[in-house]
Amino acid sequence: MEAAVEYLSNYMDKKLINEFEMLLGKGRVLSETEELLCYSYDATSKDFMPDAVVFPLNAEEISKIVKLCLKYNTPVVGRGSGSGFSGGSLPLKGGVVVSFTKMNRILQLDEENMFVTVEPGIINADLKSYLSEKGYFYPPDPASYEFSTIGGNVAECSGGPAAVKYGVTKDYVAVLEVITGEGEIIDTGSKTVKNVSGYNLTQLFTGSEGTLGLFSKITLKILSKPEANSLILVSFDDINNGFNAAISLLKLRDRPSMLEFMDKSSIESVKGYFKSDIIKIDGNFLFIVEADGSREEVDKSIGEYEKILKEFSPIFLFVSGKDEDKKVIMDARKAISPSLRKYGDLKINNDIAVPINKIPGMLSFLEETSRKYDIPIINFGHFGDGNIHVNIMLDKNNAEMVRKGESAKYDILKKTVELGGSLSGEHGIGLEKKEFMKLKYGDYYMNVLKNIKKAFDPQNIINPGKIF
Amino acid sequence: MKNKYEEHNSTYLNCVHCGKCLPVCPSYSIGLNEFFSPRGRVRLVLTDNADKLPLRASKVAESMSACLLCGRCVKICPNDVKIDELVIDEKIKLNELAVRAFSIDKFALKALRNKRKVLLKSALKIANIPVIEKLAGRYAPNPEGKPFIADSDLIFNADAAAMQAPSGNHPALRAPLLERREVIGESIDTSLENPRSLLLKKSGVIRQSADEDCKNIFTAGYFGGCVFNNIYPQISADTVTSLTKNGIEVFVPKTQGCCGLPFISSGDVKSFRELALNNARAFKDKNLDYIVTSCASCSYSINKLYPLYFDANGEGYAEVRQFSEKLLNIWSFFKELEKKGVKIKTGKLKKETEAVFHIPCHLSNMEGFKPSSANENLIGEAGFIADKITGLELKPLKYNYCCGNGGMFNIRHYDLSKEITRRKFEEIKEASPQEILTSCSGCIFSLKDQKGILKKNESLKVSHLINVYAESLKE
Repeated sequence: MEAAVEYLSNYMDKKLINEFEMLLGKGRVLSETEELLCYSYDATSKDFMPDAVVFPLNAEEISKIVKLCLKYNTPVVGRGSGSGFSGGSLPLKGGVVVSFTKMNRILQLDEENMFVTVEPGIINADLKSYLSEKGYFYPPDPASYEFSTIGGNVAECSGGPAAVKYGVTKDYVAVLEVITGEGEIIDTGSKTVKNVSGYNLTQLFTGSEGTLGLFSKITLKILSKPEANSLILVSFDDINNGFNAAISLLKLRDRPSMLEFMDKSSIESVKGYFKSDIIKIDGNFLFIVEADGSREEVDKSIGEYEKILKEFSPIFLFVSGKDEDKKVIMDARKAISPSLRKYGDLKINNDIAVPINKIPGMLSFLEETSRKYDIPIINFGHFGDGNIHVNIMLDKNNAEMVRKGESAKYDILKKTVELGGSLSGEHGIGLEKKEFMKLKYGDYYMNVLKNIKKAFDPQNIINPGKIF
Repeated sequence: MKNKYEEHNSTYLNCVHCGKCLPVCPSYSIGLNEFFSPRGRVRLVLTDNADKLPLRASKVAESMSACLLCGRCVKICPNDVKIDELVIDEKIKLNELAVRAFSIDKFALKALRNKRKVLLKSALKIANIPVIEKLAGRYAPNPEGKPFIADSDLIFNADAAAMQAPSGNHPALRAPLLERREVIGESIDTSLENPRSLLLKKSGVIRQSADEDCKNIFTAGYFGGCVFNNIYPQISADTVTSLTKNGIEVFVPKTQGCCGLPFISSGDVKSFRELALNNARAFKDKNLDYIVTSCASCSYSINKLYPLYFDANGEGYAEVRQFSEKLLNIWSFFKELEKKGVKIKTGKLKKETEAVFHIPCHLSNMEGFKPSSANENLIGEAGFIADKITGLELKPLKYNYCCGNGGMFNIRHYDLSKEITRRKFEEIKEASPQEILTSCSGCIFSLKDQKGILKKNESLKVSHLINVYAESLKE
């Protein structure tokens, strides 16, 4: 149940806008309808109008913004690039959107301890390229890394193909400066690997979907940049062979740094869409495998992978370390999304994760579900962490079909929980999967979550209406 | 070919608001405010068209007018949303509503519309009137020479550098010219002096000696565009020189005018059509193998936009479409010649030069272009000509940011434009070149207008790559 809080929504007090303007200056407050409209959406199909958008530049300003919102009892929602897939940055109940885009500086590169401290609005790719020039590496690489912000990545605990070897965002967040729902500025954690001093709030905030506070400073662990990488594209007719081949690669000491898969449905989808002279998109189970490290390590690993993969009778295997070939391979992977359009104009996009050994079971369940409801379901994902992107493709104007799609989504999430998996691997619950939380968690557990939120945000003004 | 009148641009319905267009948008990059972003513009148009919310035309115009029409968002969009066309359509709509945001343009544009006699300088001055004190004529650059296009049609070829020929579809355009007069260069035959030769001398084209074996393989029409005709005529002259030296006969019709881009980017579709038709007719029935322009924005306007704004069954469509399909930007043209087996000449610079090539947003490579050299990898088809210039070393630019010009954008939003140019100069500075090269009139405007952006009075020379190529062919 929603807390019985009456928000100012939709007719925000002009006085609050004035106070924001006094605090930040007119240039950093938006309040006209046409401007607000441009902050009413993210990458989901839902939209909610905010009442104001503010652009703070530091923690003190954010604290003052939150305190003003407390005074006027107005919701506060953080927003990076608004590229989320779960509605995390949408002002569900109106209120103030805090845009972090102007807080995009790199504050400190600590080369001795190997940490970088940034403001939350920096684009993931900008951080990556800055570090790369200095010989360092920040691995988490969500598909949106070229345009999503680090703040958003931390809030949603984003992952990407690199997760198989390097883990996800939470594995890199060391310290957060957070403004709580009471407007207090707190600092979590320290730049040490070992840290047992009270609860691990850094990890709690990471993936909290912006519901516990607003970040103002983020310190991330960094690694040395791998010198080289090579790719293998391999496909199998026999799903079990493909599965076993991939499992064998994961058992190696030098794991692949990427192990992306396409199942029959996505292979079909891309086949007719993507043309290349050098690679063949075919079969029933296809992998893109990457090895990174020093040139010698890469060559050694690739040789090893190739040998193993060949034991499982692949129908196609292509190896290359050349940039132009790697681009073609990655383009084939990137072609999945646009190739889906031919199946329908409405996509229900789920990012379930199941234990790796349940992947084949899940994929055959998805195939059955697609048949059962007679709707296209196209799947691909990150094999190394069992994260499957399930795309239910529908015709927006066909109400019957949309209803079937919703039922299919329910069946799939239910099955995911049965298989011991997670409702969301990397997009978050937000608005999109709120109703499915009960598939996994009982009342007691949900209450614990709510009480945690209450501890940081007693007035329930920080991103209300998300997760539960 | 799809056409505005056959099919309304509904690609915006494919927008899934993923946000991929944000970092590539120059207008977003300045304020990081989504009201000035491709995604924001799509949402404004969508809401306006669906009549979901009462939106004020003047406010919508604010967002649209800050779009540079650079097309970077279109290139990166995974769902093929034609955002540039969408913005143009919205501007046409706003123009019809006579929204004030565009009324400044009107005065300026009126001056430009005067067909051949393009009063660009006056147009730019007029555009500045409301803010004239602040701007003090900053972007009314002085012409660097007399206009290139003459009072009559011109023909330049390998036999004599410049010849004036009868206009119209005259067989003389094909046949070797009877009166071979060397009217350009140091040895002017004064005995043959006539009023024309003086005029042609002024055009600055470099003579090509007649004993070369590569003469007049193809005939190409040259479309100059306002800026390369009026403000920087040397670029036109050097383009023609580079072509004739490679054995291309060049025809320059006198009746060509502005490509129309400033008009369509202000929503004035009527004038845009008039200009498009005028240009198409200027080059019509002249037995031309190709039509070439050395301005990237003109080629964007002609190749991409011309056919979209004519009724497929209506007057002028066939002519305009034919013109549009025949026109190539200068770099694509050289690549095309290479494909046809023409060996493109190599030149040598007297002094070795390290330069950067600013890739204009409107410069696009031919479909299926695959880079085959380091320079082509770096800058696309233009790299092919850079390869032909011994002594020119291209240095990479890290991001290839937009220069901030955006045609009318630069006039309407000079301060924003300058911010974008500043960012461009930061990456240029990092590359520390001796010279900046590019191939678009707008980019040259903004890059030359660099005073105060680079500190310590560092003033870098800005040229068209074709200037450098023509220079290298001098020896």
